Amino acid sequence: MKTLVLGLGNPILSDDGVGFRVIEALRDRLDPGQATVMETGVGGLGLLDLLTGYDRAIIVDAMQTAGGEPGKVCRLEPGVLESTRHAASPHDVNFATALELGHRLGMALPREIVIFGIEVADATTFGEECTPKVRQAIPLCVEMVLRELNGGVHA
Amino acid sequence: MASGKANDAVFHIDPPPAAKKLRELFYCAHMVHSHIAHFYALAGPDFVMGPTSDPAQRNILGVIGKVGLGVAGEVLKHRAYAQQIQATIGGKATHAACALPGGMSRPITEQERLDFVEKAKSCVEFAKFTLKLFNDVVLANKEYVDLILGDIYTMKSYYMGLVDANNKVNFYDGDVRVKDPDGKEVAKFKPADYLQYIAEHTEPWSYLKFPFLKKVGWKGLTEGKDSGVYRVSPLARLNVADGMATPLAQAEYERMYQTLGGKPVHATLAMHWARLVELLYASERLLELCQDKEITSPQVRTIPTATPDEGVGIVEAPRGTLIHHYQTDEKGIVKKVNLIVATAHNYAAMDMSIKNAAKGLIHKGKAVTEGLLNMVEMAFRAYDPCMGCATHNLPGQMPLEVVIRNSDGEELTRLTRNLR
Repeated sequence: MKTLVLGLGNPILSDDGVGFRVIEALRDRLDPGQATVMETGVGGLGLLDLLTGYDRAIIVDAMQTAGGEPGKVCRLEPGVLESTRHAASPHDVNFATALELGHRLGMALPREIVIFGIEVADATTFGEECTPKVRQAIPLCVEMVLRELNGGVHA
Repeated sequence: MASGKANDAVFHIDPPPAAKKLRELFYCAHMVHSHIAHFYALAGPDFVMGPTSDPAQRNILGVIGKVGLGVAGEVLKHRAYAQQIQATIGGKATHAACALPGGMSRPITEQERLDFVEKAKSCVEFAKFTLKLFNDVVLANKEYVDLILGDIYTMKSYYMGLVDANNKVNFYDGDVRVKDPDGKEVAKFKPADYLQYIAEHTEPWSYLKFPFLKKVGWKGLTEGKDSGVYRVSPLARLNVADGMATPLAQAEYERMYQTLGGKPVHATLAMHWARLVELLYASERLLELCQDKEITSPQVRTIPTATPDEGVGIVEAPRGTLIHHYQTDEKGIVKKVNLIVATAHNYAAMDMSIKNAAKGLIHKGKAVTEGLLNMVEMAFRAYDPCMGCATHNLPGQMPLEVVIRNSDGEELTRLTRNLR
């Protein structure tokens, strides 16, 4: 199965770079040919270009929910994005809309998409380091991604 | 790109010609995908679906349902082409880091150039198609033309934008030209002199400053010749220029002004048309640059030797003039930064455009529907604003609050979205 593990975010905006950090930590843990790993700062329609051609995609991104506990890692599936359809950028569409568009166009998008969202504490201050609780969540998220790749089950 | 140019100025270095052309090529590609996304995903739904149509349908998916899946495929294809060109030159399409003080990080190969030529040719055709679509959907509909030219979306202001040596629109380089509401040139200056022409007013109720023309002065949120409020945008660029530097875009430029009653055009919604004229120009210019013999030259950087100190870089971002101003120590470490982004230049004008639309649309006894509020929002959306860039604050969503008051100032209704 052709698999992509994609870290999203902005690596110079503190916790928003956590997707990048997980990918960095994951790189050395993968068997050769197990998956393609990639980091990107693009969102919306641009993501379709990156996802096309894969059977499965595992996306790692920062997440901010009301009252969320920083460092908490959630495994999500694209269906839940329907309820949070605000655009991440005023210059583009959101991920849910982009995915729907891709499906309608019959693009070769992954049949299976799993998203690991890491609750952030600060995604607006310039900095290349995550805040302590989010930093601590990186190894946990790496293990979750590895388990996902190996077909494991999550609680 | 503004940052790259500001760094050239900080290090007192002039990049070689091939580097400037490569930067402009990269930048035209950026303009192509940004303008495509704005028209089809952000502005298109208001016109293709209708300003007061069901909000569940008033989005890019609704647009695609109406214009067809084939068009959607072309939208994505050309956005991707432009981004692939950027990624090839800059390593990645977004947050590329290819503009270094004195030039570019690497040249392009002949094979890459040939690939760019094919993509640019296709972008020209797609830009022509998009203008035809705008013509068929918007201009052929008298209701829309009346809406564009109507009072509620009209605001008389000064305009600002970069022009080349022939006073034609240029996104990457040139002088900053300012015209008054009657279309008369009132200033033309080099980027380094911007502080002689622009000052920034502050209000205690806003994070965002209000840039204004120093020589006219800040007269509050008022329009017209006596107010220093000016606008930047695709329409502003066309208003300050004498024309477009490529033939097909020039023909569209002439058609636009002929249709809208001559220069300058003060109709805020005409920004959408101007954006498409620019999409055609960016595509044509992209092709020209790809076919330039010098574009594959290996001479893409001059290594700086002077001691860095201070510099200003100005480009035209998709939504308007972008100013970067840096002061550094002798090691090049930044000590002071001032950025004036397009949304900041337009801040006062956006406020007034929203007010004009609200005053024109909301009346006593008339129900304030979602569609009506969307029509107010259209005045804002035309500017393609980025409040995150302008306020240097990233809340990740767009909080909106609408308060309806009667003529005595008493609150009648309060509607909110994404407010915490």
